[in-house]
Parts: sequence; C-alpha cells; structure tokens
Amino acid sequence: MISINNVSKIYPNGTVALNGINIEIHKGEFVFFVGSSGAGKSTLVKMLLKEENPTSGSISVDGVVINSLKRRQIPYYRRKLGVVFQDFRLLPDKTVAENIAFAMHVVEASRREIARQVPRVLSVVGLGDKANVFPGQLSGGEQQRVSLARAIVNNPSLLIADEPTGNLDPDTAWEIMKLLKEINQRGTTIIMATHARDIVNYMRQRVVTLERGRIVRDQERGGYGIED
Amino acid sequence: MKIRTLGLQFRQGISGLWRNRIMSLVAVGSVTAVLLVLGLSLLTIININSITAYIESSVEIKAFLEEDLDTAQVETIGAKIEQMEGVREVEFETKETALEKYKEQLGDNSSLLEGLEGENNPFPSSYIVRVDDPNTIGAIADEIAVFEGVEEVQYGKDVVERLLNSTHLIRVVGTVLICILAFISIFIISNTIKLTVVARRREISIMKYIGATDGFIRLPFIIEGLLLGIIGAALASGLVAVVYNYFFVTMNSSFEGVFVMLSGYFAPFAETLYRTSFILLAVGIVIGVTGSAISLRKFLNV
Repeated sequence: MISINNVSKIYPNGTVALNGINIEIHKGEFVFFVGSSGAGKSTLVKMLLKEENPTSGSISVDGVVINSLKRRQIPYYRRKLGVVFQDFRLLPDKTVAENIAFAMHVVEASRREIARQVPRVLSVVGLGDKANVFPGQLSGGEQQRVSLARAIVNNPSLLIADEPTGNLDPDTAWEIMKLLKEINQRGTTIIMATHARDIVNYMRQRVVTLERGRIVRDQERGGYGIED
Repeated sequence: MKIRTLGLQFRQGISGLWRNRIMSLVAVGSVTAVLLVLGLSLLTIININSITAYIESSVEIKAFLEEDLDTAQVETIGAKIEQMEGVREVEFETKETALEKYKEQLGDNSSLLEGLEGENNPFPSSYIVRVDDPNTIGAIADEIAVFEGVEEVQYGKDVVERLLNSTHLIRVVGTVLICILAFISIFIISNTIKLTVVARRREISIMKYIGATDGFIRLPFIIEGLLLGIIGAALASGLVAVVYNYFFVTMNSSFEGVFVMLSGYFAPFAETLYRTSFILLAVGIVIGVTGSAISLRKFLNV
C-alpha cells in the first residue's frame, strides 16, 4: 500500500533529515516508526501527509506517486488519510459532535451521512454519551479519543498517528492503543510515530527504527530496541 | 460545491464579520466613502454629459434681446443679422414661444411654470440664427454680440467646451480621489480579514489535514470581503440617492424658475440613480473581493 523508495530529505540549511530510506508497508499493517527526536520520524510522517517533499526518491501510496501530486490534488489525497496528533488539535468552540461533523463538512458529506456517522464513530471510541460536551470539559485521553473519532469518520484507508500518546498518562495511553488496535483490526493500515518504549515493546508489531535519517532496523513483531 | 456547503460557508463568512465587528464597521465605512465619491462624481458627469448632448444637438446661435425694445428696433436687429454673410436662416422667438417651448420640454412637470405667463415671463425674446458652416459659428456669434439691443449671445460650442472642461476636471480629481480611497479600503478590508484568518488559524490547519480544498478554505473569507463590499455599496447607494434628491429639492426651492429651466436637461432621476447604484455595487464587490484575495495571499498559506 505504501512504498517508500530510496527517499532522502535535505533541508535548505543542509540538515540531512532522511538518507536513502526504503520501506514497504502492506495494507492492514500496523507499523511503528521509532527513534529519538531528530532521527527523521517526523520528517517521514510529514512526507506521508504531503507537507514536505523528498529531495530525492519517491513515495507512493495506493499506487499513486505522491511526490508528483499537484497542489490541487493534495486535498483529495489527504482524504484517504486519517491523522492523529500529540496535541489532539480539536476546536475548543465546537462540541465533540461538531468537531467530528466538521471533518465531514470539509469533504462535503450529506447531512444524513453526518447524522449517521457521528454517533457511530463516537461509540467506536467509547464516547457515545459525550457528543454535546466541549473538548475543554474532557480529559486528555477523552480528547485524544475524539480526535481518533474525527480521524476515522471519513473511513480512511491509512491512519497516521504522530506521537498520539505523548501527552497522556500510561493508563490512558493504553486505552488509545487498544482503540488503535481495534481500528487496525477493522482493516485500516496504521502508521504510528512514537518513542513510547513500553507500548512498542508490548504491542509486538512491526517496528521501523530510525537513527540520524537512516533505517537501522525493520522488524516484524519487534521491540523498541536493545541499545537504547 | 454543494448548496448546503455554500450555506455553511456563508454563515462562516458572516460570523467572521461579527467576530471583528469594529474592524468590519471601519471597512464598510471606507467602502462607503469610496463609493459615495464615485457615485456623486458619476451623477455629476452623467448630468453634464446630458446637458452637453442637448446643447450639441442644437448648433445654432441664440441672440437674446434686451427687454424693452420696440418692434422697430427688434426688426432692425433681425434684418442686420439676415444680411450677414454665412447666415442661412433667422427666426424670431417671442417670450411667449420661449415659455411654451420650455413647457413642452418639461412635459409632466410643466405645472412648475405656472404663473410665469405675461408680465412675469422670465424668458427673453431672441433671434435664433442658423449658419451655413458650423465652423463660422464662433465668428458670427461674436459679431452679433456687439449689436445694439442684443443682450447676450449663446451658441452651443462655447458652452459645450466649458462643460467638457469641467467634466474633465471632475474626472481627473474624481479618479485620483477614488483610487486613493479604494486603495485605503482594500487595505482595511484585507486587514479585517486577516484578523479572521488569524482567529481561525487552528481550524484552517485542521481543515488542511482533513483534506479541505483551497477553495473550500478560502471561500468564507471571500464571502466576508464580498459582504463588506456589498454592505458598503448599499449604504453608498442610499447616501447618493439622499444627496441627489436633496440637491434637486434645494435647487428647486432656492432658484425656482431658473433651475426648472436647467433641470429639463438633466438625466432622468430614477433611471440614473438605478444605474449608478448598479455600478457602485459592482465596484464594491470588486473592492471587497480584492481586499480578501490580498489578505489570503499574504496570510493564508494553504
């Protein structure tokens, strides 16, 4: 589903963020990108979100080479993705339901579809009773669940989670991981960038370890790594 | 884009206006100011053009005679004019004919001239002189002007030139003023919209990740600019109508007969206002949309 071929990224200031990266990710996989900060995880995530372009090499998603996407094609590409961030990125002046409906307005879903989908995803993330609450009234874990609901409401084939547990305490983090696993089991491919060692070690999923812009290890059912 | 989406975007635009209501007011005020100047200049130019066109259509010399001439004196003047070289035709117009002619021009408003018959008739009697060659009209008019018993000579060209000169001045001054004001209001509008952009920065960044198209993200801001322009245009049209109407009413009451004489040559009131409002609306929309486009280009890096 995702094929990253010999991708390098050199920023204008000369920093080499990625250096000859090759990754092949199949449909339905759950992949961790791990590594210390500055290892290149976030650059890789930004490239998949089409926020950055590789300096060389190519990235294709669902058979589409995304390097060469035209500006006006980018939104349609992003509709195939769901994104979750460390800082949730919810709109504080909209209720939980409105935050999710907002994502559907953007892709011009019908009123009927919105009315059907919003309660459905809210119950998937276990917040069926919080539809009319504002994000400020929710705990961090609940907020992240709202952002997960928003990420999957348009049925993306790929979910990209950038440090989704970074702001959460361990127990809450596990709840989010359980949800991600569930979503993955329903067929959504998941890429998660993280440096939460315990989670990675426990989940036993594919782990791609980056160090100074290179892949140092790519293991099925791997752990965070021994040396750090 | 679906109609329902358009509705949502429209509400978003209105909420943007409301969020920065003070700046929105300032922006509307500036648009109104530009369009007010534009509207008044347009009306002035339209009316002067209308008068000019009327005068141009009558390429003839009008030699107004002094009051209290006896019949013999009047006839002498007529004979003298007829003998001049280049004169094709001379026609005598009595005070009464002049009044009648003017009544005809006024049509439905002819009642305004009631009470001006007989003793009170303000129109002078005159000789209407037609010449063979329009180019000689100036020289002939100058000659007639010094005849004894001739009060004043009018001929189209001279008036036309003066009027055209004044429209030229209005055009130049108006254009400069309008450009400066338009520039200012575009600046104010782009700043008003910048505030909304900043306030919605978070929302916009989320929209981008979700896959909102550039057009979808920009539309509410364009609508906001559009509304500022339209509201400004509506206010300006109203003000122009009030000023124009006030001008007519005041002129009528303070100059009475004299103004009535002129008003026949003015452009039709309602139709002119209607057309002017339409132009103001169009210019208002252009200003509003330009303002938001500039703002988006500068501050909304989608």
